[in-house]
Amino acid sequence: MSKVYFSTWRGEQINNIGKADEEWEKSAYNLPLEYNEHASSKAFIGWDGVALFSPDVDVVRLATEYAAQYQVYSEACGRCAPGRWGGRILYDLLDKIARGEGALSDMEHLKEVSKTMQETSKCEIGKTVPNPLLDLMNHFESEFMACIEGQKPSKHYHMHDTNYIAKITAPCMDACPAHVDIPAYIEGVRDLRFDDSLMATRQTMPLAHTCGRVCPHPCETECRRTNLDEAISIMELKRLGADYETDHGFGFFHPAQKKPSIGKKVAVIGAGPAGLTGAYYLALEGVDVDVYEELPVLGGEVAVGVPEYRMPIDKYNQDIEAVRDLGVNFITNTKVTADMMRQFENDYDAVLVATGTRISKKVYCDNERPEIQGYWGAIDFLDKVNLQVKYDIMVPEADQKRHMLPANFVDLSGKTLACVGGGFTSMDVVRCAIRAGAKKVIMLYRRDEATIIKNTTYEEYHEAVEEGVEFIFHSAVAKMNDENDVLKSLTVDRFELVPDPNGGRPTLEKIDGASFDIDVDYLIPAVSQSADLKLLPEEWEIERTSWATIKTNGKDYMTSRKGIFAAGDCEYGPMTIVNAVGQAKRAASVMARYVQSGEITLSDDEIMEDHLRKLKVYDKKEKIKGWLPGLPRAHSEVLTVDERKDNNREVKYGFTQEEALAEAERCMRCYYIAMVAH
Amino acid sequence: MINFTINGQPVTAQKGETILQAARKAGFYIPTMCYLEKTTPCASCRLCVVETDKTDGFILSCQTPPTEGLSVTIDSENLKAERTNIMRLYDVNHPLECGVCDKSGACDLQNKTLEFGVSAQHFSAKEQHRTIEHWGLINYDPSLCILCEKCVHVCNEIIGDDAIELQFGGYKSSVVPKNSEKLDCTFCGECIAVCPVGALVSSDFQYSANAWELTQIPATCAHCSAGCSLVYEVRHTSNALGAKPKIYRVTNDFEHATLCGAGRFGFDFGSEGAKDEAELARAVDAIQEHKAIRFSSLITNEEAYILQKLKESAGIKLYNEEARAYQDFMKAYGSISGKKSTGGSIDAVAKSDGVIVFGGRIATDNPALRYAMTTAARHNGAKVVYMHPLEDALLQNVVTQYVKYEVGTEEGVAAMLAKTLLKEADVSEETRRYFDDLDEGYLCAESNVGDEEFERISKTFARTKRKTLIIGSDLLSHGRAQNIARLCAMIEAYTDFSVVVAAPSVNTVGVSLICDLDADGANVKAVGYNAHGVYTMGSFGNVQLRLPALNSQEGTFVSINHQVLPTNVAVAFEGYTLNDVASRLGVSSANTIDYTAQLPVSSGFSGSEFDALGNFYGPLGEDRRGYVLENVDVEADGELEEVEDLPEFNGTVVYRCNPVNQFNAYTAQSRQLEKDTALRGSAQFAAAAKIANGDKIRVEFGSGSEERMFVLDGEMKGTVALVPSYDGAYGAANDRYRFEKVKISRVGSEV
Ligand SMILES: Cc1cc2nc3c(=O)[nH]c(=O)nc-3n(C[C@H](O)[C@H](O)[C@H](O)COP(=O)(O)OP(=O)(O)OC[C@H]3O[C@@H](n4cnc5c(N)ncnc54)[C@H](O)[C@@H]3O)c2cc1C
Ligand code: SF4
Ligand code: SF4
Ligand code: SF4
Ligand code: SF4
Ligand code: SF4
Ligand code: FES
Repeated sequence: MSKVYFSTWRGEQINNIGKADEEWEKSAYNLPLEYNEHASSKAFIGWDGVALFSPDVDVVRLATEYAAQYQVYSEACGRCAPGRWGGRILYDLLDKIARGEGALSDMEHLKEVSKTMQETSKCEIGKTVPNPLLDLMNHFESEFMACIEGQKPSKHYHMHDTNYIAKITAPCMDACPAHVDIPAYIEGVRDLRFDDSLMATRQTMPLAHTCGRVCPHPCETECRRTNLDEAISIMELKRLGADYETDHGFGFFHPAQKKPSIGKKVAVIGAGPAGLTGAYYLALEGVDVDVYEELPVLGGEVAVGVPEYRMPIDKYNQDIEAVRDLGVNFITNTKVTADMMRQFENDYDAVLVATGTRISKKVYCDNERPEIQGYWGAIDFLDKVNLQVKYDIMVPEADQKRHMLPANFVDLSGKTLACVGGGFTSMDVVRCAIRAGAKKVIMLYRRDEATIIKNTTYEEYHEAVEEGVEFIFHSAVAKMNDENDVLKSLTVDRFELVPDPNGGRPTLEKIDGASFDIDVDYLIPAVSQSADLKLLPEEWEIERTSWATIKTNGKDYMTSRKGIFAAGDCEYGPMTIVNAVGQAKRAASVMARYVQSGEITLSDDEIMEDHLRKLKVYDKKEKIKGWLPGLPRAHSEVLTVDERKDNNREVKYGFTQEEALAEAERCMRCYYIAMVAH
Repeated sequence: MINFTINGQPVTAQKGETILQAARKAGFYIPTMCYLEKTTPCASCRLCVVETDKTDGFILSCQTPPTEGLSVTIDSENLKAERTNIMRLYDVNHPLECGVCDKSGACDLQNKTLEFGVSAQHFSAKEQHRTIEHWGLINYDPSLCILCEKCVHVCNEIIGDDAIELQFGGYKSSVVPKNSEKLDCTFCGECIAVCPVGALVSSDFQYSANAWELTQIPATCAHCSAGCSLVYEVRHTSNALGAKPKIYRVTNDFEHATLCGAGRFGFDFGSEGAKDEAELARAVDAIQEHKAIRFSSLITNEEAYILQKLKESAGIKLYNEEARAYQDFMKAYGSISGKKSTGGSIDAVAKSDGVIVFGGRIATDNPALRYAMTTAARHNGAKVVYMHPLEDALLQNVVTQYVKYEVGTEEGVAAMLAKTLLKEADVSEETRRYFDDLDEGYLCAESNVGDEEFERISKTFARTKRKTLIIGSDLLSHGRAQNIARLCAMIEAYTDFSVVVAAPSVNTVGVSLICDLDADGANVKAVGYNAHGVYTMGSFGNVQLRLPALNSQEGTFVSINHQVLPTNVAVAFEGYTLNDVASRLGVSSANTIDYTAQLPVSSGFSGSEFDALGNFYGPLGEDRRGYVLENVDVEADGELEEVEDLPEFNGTVVYRCNPVNQFNAYTAQSRQLEKDTALRGSAQFAAAAKIANGDKIRVEFGSGSEERMFVLDGEMKGTVALVPSYDGAYGAANDRYRFEKVKISRVGSEV
């Protein structure tokens, strides 16, 4: 709810003109009333209408500026005849009126050009720019006419009292935590300009191979094409640009030339997605970056957590090499301690903590004693599997004994393994266990099938079932049963969903007498992870969140201690790659300014990005015009069960070129332009 | 198959076809300004909008495939109104100075403006000042550019240079060279061809003639074996002052065909002649005396047939080493495949999703094959394996696996390649044993190609569906050419690969199918026809008897597609023809093209008369040029031979290959084409040969020597240098194996 003077946003008709302040009707939307802590906004104008926050707005100038922004700043325009010339004419005519030189016929021409743009432009930006302009011309006709009839400039035409800040966005771009310029990279695919496609991705997402494979793609949930038929397969289309670079052995297509060194140094702790991303964008800005990593390998959980068959390491390494290519210095096998952090504060101009959440949480059952052999945390289990599969780093002898392994790799032949979880991590555990030759693999999950699909993906669940994982739903481990500290079996409780007689949410209740025992050799807890923050010196008293991660304001990613920043899972809690990337990209941008000016600032683009996310660009009720429904979403082929279950070959083939082009062709280029006047 | 309707009439579309494509096939007209059949849709002009019963608002017909049962309207009043408005926008600030524009008369903007009845400038915007760019053979005028993006699409998707891009800036957008200040490209000129207005023009042609003064002569390009279709545009203004008809430019049916720069800009190679009885008599005497003719493959089928008849009737020996090598190669090939010709074509390459190139510098040897590979790579995501001792930078954005082998080891590589691709094939036990018995360790070590490289090829091709193998001309003249041919034939015979051979010269294929060739030797005396000899005739250099060049002749060629392609006279030739010479030797007919119908049926020719041959593409791109040879059966009695010891090439080695757009004495004569005659090598080569950039050097070959400049090429690696052959200083590229050990000495240095 926002208090506005006038609004046509998303079709609402709020008109408080002439009403007393306390009678003002409110807008239903989260409009950006405050631009930032220093300035309140005067107006907001965008693809779906216009909102005025005060009576003192020069609407003729506002319209002119919006048309100008479209002309001047929009990279998206210039690619179709109506948008290119139409946009210019809109601006020229509006400016003519605003200057006090307009004629009545100009109003007619404006409407005529607007209609052609709305009907025939290539992308939404050209189709929608006329919308708020027409709104203003309709609702404030008298102000336009005053300029024309009086041949006088609009009321603020010659004043420089207002800033006009514009931003290009799109529903999918807004929903992507890294705000990847999705329409641009899809356009690159459609135009067979794969280098452009990759450079568009890398503007905000350096891990193109990776996020083209294992991103849970929140963007697709807010793809506007959903309103017509099915969402675009956004994620996979990212692979074409990345593959083009890799297949032809080009150097790296960076989104911009690396700036010469500015003589500032930053330490990044952790070489996971967050650390890599932070390093990449800091390096592009000319900052010297040292990345410290505890493990012998780079990549964080995507390297040692996500298995080879989902994310081939040679592809991930390509993403990592792109970071190294900018001159980033990696220091592996080095666990950063509190003492080192104290030292870093002196040695570096800023520090980015990106240590993730690598401690597996307990399942909270009886007799859950870590010393019992066969009890093995998911993160450590996957570390051991991945280090061997991807890097040939074998299991050390002590761990081999500890986990009862017959050899120096994870060989589960003849063993039964149970995993407790329900998210991505647990899914990786059970599928790796199948590949490690386990006799029987069981997944215990408190809730039902639909929920596990929601938490992972349909494909992931379905593939696990195909490979022979046994899912026991509505179940939880009550007790671990051991003999001399060796795990023998589990006692499992069963639950049922009991509807709330008062119509509330159904609750899970234990079914008495339904508990049973299963014989197992291993129990892998994969319920969730927590952060190990021992590296933060206690005396710094860095603030934590209630779930024991590092606290920031979620905008500039600085911790409570100046110069120390945090991004990724250690800030947010266990989340996704793209979330880590988005946070670290923002942090890098803030840090690059901070190391030079000592101040924490956000760019106009970033401020607008946050405003738009709050407002939400995607409108699931919108009815789509100008596109033919019924063109199905492309699906890429996967290996058959027999081809995949005993090896680590990548399960998904990725799109054939034909599929990719057909899919790219479906994208509607839903670029929009929004502008705040403050 | 999708059934839908256009304006109420039933229409069907294939899977993947757009509404526009289906409409055109069914004969409906939807206006477009940015559509180019051979590229992905540019989707910039928006004129192709249509209405349907399932959509709100207009949709784009050029990028939307129809859905079952859709009902499409292509010409409502609404559509007309918006299309007219778009045309009005196009005309905003487009300088109405058509009188001085090259495109006038053939301009899409002019035509569409008329079609939609747009008159005065309805809308206006502030003028902007823009300067004309001069990019060598091409001029670009941004104020005429309608930003349709056709040029950008064709350069990236078909040519592969990816040399230009759109600089976005709304109203100020323009076409700019990509990643460089000035245009640095292979100057194919295809961007000029596709430009619908006069924004991109040939700098040579600009202001020289009006479109309507030119006569169009459809012909076949006379520079390489691809046999591209082109149109010579000739002004026939013979005036009192004796001005002669002249070719002003070359154009092409760019919707369906593509030309390289040689075809487009290298048209002025004609020679003039006069009828000198005495010279003709000397030519006839010379032939009678030496009883031998040496000729190049810059020759029509009909002329080759005349030579063959001379051989048959007068016992004249025929020498053409390059065609003989091709002939022998194909004979050996056929002894395994059981067919006279290979089964592939340039078009098959363009449609494939997996290509292997083996033994040739394809991008410059045969640009049409390069464009087909670019098309395959971009449009089909084709995997392209390039096997050659030298990497080629022109192909970097096409090649996905480069396999470098040692010079001379082609036979070993062919054996390993065949073994790799035939792994799953149903071959005879004997063949299986042959491959099992190969000494892989030796072959891999000597050729320097690891088994993992073959393993990768095997994996790549396991998932491709339409595969082609391009055989380069290095293999044709290799000492072990015939066994290589047999190994390659195995691949075509026992797998789903189709094979195309990049024959070295314009009509190598035709000559090889028509003539019985004799083995030439170092001191053999013969009359030269466009080749060296004791007496010379032909159309280049200082020949004694002038005969018409290939742009002054009618007749046919056989392209590497095994297509018999007609060509026509662009400018008439006043002197004698080979037919006149032959008449004096007892082989006579009224016109050379009388022989078209007599071309040997046993080689697959159809017996068609010349006048029955078409020379154009149908409106939907149907190839109506000449006809395709029948692939005649031959006896499959060949056997694979043991791979011989692989030779070593140490010391200074050069590779005969031409710079971009250069092929032969014709292109060497052409005014607009760049003539780089330097020997190019890497720093490593320079060090080994003890020469430096800019040095004048003497290169001693087995059969002679020549002087050239040395240019140190920073992009090159390795110890093999490139030596051009088009300038004729050293004869044709393919008389012998293209790599050769030479002696290089420094003669002086360039100031
Ligand atoms: C098994 C599994 C599967 C997953 N699958 C997906 C998926 O499919 N899609 C998806 O989007 N997300 C997935 N995730 C989540 C995703 O991997 C994480 O959200 C992401 O890796 C977080 O990135 P990060 O950089 O914040 O942390 P991490 O990737 O955890 O990286 C932190 C790095 O810091 C290092 N480090 C920690 N402490 C120190 C120290 N003191 N000194 C030096 N180095 C230190 C660690 O060794 C580690 O390398 C998965 C996670 C797991 C565990
Ligand atoms: S259709 Fe394309 S631009 Fe529109 S929301 Fe979906 S992916 Fe984004
Ligand atoms: S990174 Fe992930 S969320 Fe963002 S665009 Fe890509 S697939 Fe979508
Ligand atoms: S001449 Fe050919 S290569 Fe050069 S820009 Fe034009 S299309 Fe591209
Ligand atoms: S130069 Fe010609 S082909 Fe290229 S965008 Fe402009 S008008 Fe189109
Ligand atoms: S030289 Fe070859 S590729 Fe170039 S136009 Fe002529 S036939 Fe075509
Ligand atoms: S032909 Fe469809 S937009 Fe130009």
